[in-house]
Amino acid sequence: MKKCTRLLCIPFGLAITLSACSNEDASTPTSDSSGSNNNEETIELRVVTTMAGTDPGGLAFNELIEDFQNENDHISIINESQSADAGVIRTKVNTDFSSNNEPDLMFYFNTVDAQGIIDQGLVIDLEKAEDLNLEGFHELMYEQQRNENGGLYAVPQSGFYEALFVNEALFEEHGVELPTTWELYEEAIRAFAETDIIPVAVSTEDSYYLVEHYILAAGGIENFRAELSEQDEAWAEGLDKIAEHAEMGAFPVDAATIDLGASAQLFHSEQAAMLFEGSWAYGGMSDAGIADNVRPYYMPVYGDGGETGDLVGGASQGWFISTKAYEDDSKHDAVVDFFNFITSEESIVKIADATMQVPAKGSLSELPETVASGHALSEEATGVEAPINDRIYPEAFTHIRQSVPEIVNGSKTGAQVIEEAAELE
Amino acid sequence: MKSDKLYAFLFLAPAVAITAVFLYYPFFDNIRQSFYRTDGFFNSTFIGLENYRRLLEDDIALGATLNSLELMLYVSIFQVGIALALAVMVDSIRHGVRFFRTTFFFPVVISGAAIGLLFTLIYNYNNGLLNEILVRLGLERVLWLTEQSSLYMVAIPTIWSYVGFYFIILLTAISKIPADYYEAAKLEGINGFQKTIKITLPLIVTDMKTCLILAITGALKIFELVYIITRGGPARSSEVLGTYMYQKAFVDSAVGYGATLAILMVIIGLSLALITNILLKRDDVTY
Repeated sequence: MKKCTRLLCIPFGLAITLSACSNEDASTPTSDSSGSNNNEETIELRVVTTMAGTDPGGLAFNELIEDFQNENDHISIINESQSADAGVIRTKVNTDFSSNNEPDLMFYFNTVDAQGIIDQGLVIDLEKAEDLNLEGFHELMYEQQRNENGGLYAVPQSGFYEALFVNEALFEEHGVELPTTWELYEEAIRAFAETDIIPVAVSTEDSYYLVEHYILAAGGIENFRAELSEQDEAWAEGLDKIAEHAEMGAFPVDAATIDLGASAQLFHSEQAAMLFEGSWAYGGMSDAGIADNVRPYYMPVYGDGGETGDLVGGASQGWFISTKAYEDDSKHDAVVDFFNFITSEESIVKIADATMQVPAKGSLSELPETVASGHALSEEATGVEAPINDRIYPEAFTHIRQSVPEIVNGSKTGAQVIEEAAELE
Repeated sequence: MKSDKLYAFLFLAPAVAITAVFLYYPFFDNIRQSFYRTDGFFNSTFIGLENYRRLLEDDIALGATLNSLELMLYVSIFQVGIALALAVMVDSIRHGVRFFRTTFFFPVVISGAAIGLLFTLIYNYNNGLLNEILVRLGLERVLWLTEQSSLYMVAIPTIWSYVGFYFIILLTAISKIPADYYEAAKLEGINGFQKTIKITLPLIVTDMKTCLILAITGALKIFELVYIITRGGPARSSEVLGTYMYQKAFVDSAVGYGATLAILMVIIGLSLALITNILLKRDDVTY
């Protein structure tokens, strides 16, 4: 009995020790970020964004948080941002929302990724909230955030485009005409395939941009916008065209095993003349010292349903407010203040300035030539549509993407892959 | 006596609680999820045996299962085989046992991710180690990761990385064999090869059985090396159950179907462990 009592004392003693440690924190008076003490209770706001890791917007976002806290010393922002790489952010957001631990505000993908959260009513329809400032957004980007149910659950921060990045210096050096039309694009493939320069740096296994652009080329924006269930012929034709071009020697020998990073590396080291990428790729090209040689081009469209000038792009990420935080009287005002601050033109331009993306409000000035030409590409596009990847069931898109090597080796056809993907939806 | 039981209960309780929360609960929840079309979070629809029906018709899952079994065969033969050969050789030398023990065991302590990255760099077509050597020798570059070769190319680092583990087990088993046996056999005029075949191997058969079961069940868990080196490609030629399950559950957000693949892995693992046990069943050797 004596032994037993002693044993039970161990956890009890441990509990006292731990509570003594925690009391130390609790007894410390709360101080705000500016170091001043006041009677106003500090309100903590948890914010999740993708502005972390290698995202160049991370630094600007942290500075904005600091500015906001300096102006609102009763609000403390807990920044739980995670890099968008490898889907970590998706797991975090889904886990947080499904375990009743959602962030108060978040900057997240307003695509199929957010649909479950929206359907559950866990984020608010921003247009139904009276105290938010939704003025001044560029119309196209703003409307692209609108959900199928007509609600607006997120507002954009910046837009993006995907394009054919062309190393013009290599084209000039080898006397090849720039790929402004489909015929010239194919001519460039033939010409570079005869040299030691890879025509297009792609990964057929990790073929996000390749799939999007070849489907766009085969059917223009009209067919590109089709639902997967329609099994649009242009989609199948685009996939088959990848195999045809692989046969012509358009892609790296090891395209079926390298990933996007490795294929970009071929372009950065000027071992490849063209690359399909998004507007965020400018940073990598700049670091590699080739940005001045590179210009983004529209994917040449050869099929019916559009024209060269159509673009994959838009604004797929936006700022959300959680319903729980908005309806919490103790947090409501702080949430509204931070939302209005971070979506103000000044904040949006500051982050866009760091990322070189097209801002959702206002515009950037003094842009490097490559970035400026990308912005012009975006502004002058004959049609813009969000990537297929953002619109269809993830499993279906992965099936299309990962089947590209099988289309290339001839074991599957484009139509067969599209049919299989449609069955997964 | 009663207080002893109380002590036993108290000391076991944390382990039981942790195992229940982190092993048994997820395992049974995984079985539950396999009856749903779910992303594991918000979208969840009960579909009964639909995932299992899909599994039976899934060509990729079939290919991944066959690849896993093929990899299991290579691992069982070469990991345990090479480990046995090394253990017998190291046991027979007088000097440098510690050096070889450390050298052979070293890959085990390197993380799978690091080994995967290392072999990615070795196999790389444009700037990889193997092709750089070939180029220096005036030869053409070789595409090491093809549909025909990819499974062998991931088997090599998989085998290499775990040979040391079985080597240590078998070396320890050999070193426990009483020296009297060998001395008696030597007086009878037995040679080195016969010594291995007639004394060493029969006396460590229990340990070899353990190694085989570990190798077989371990092969089903192979994931990171394949994922990093080939990601199951090219054209799914090196897809194994681990990478396919990961893709479904975490890349495609099809957690329900991923859970069904996990069940398949458990069934295959348990069945093979059972079969191996039955096939290798014999009285344990004691000395």
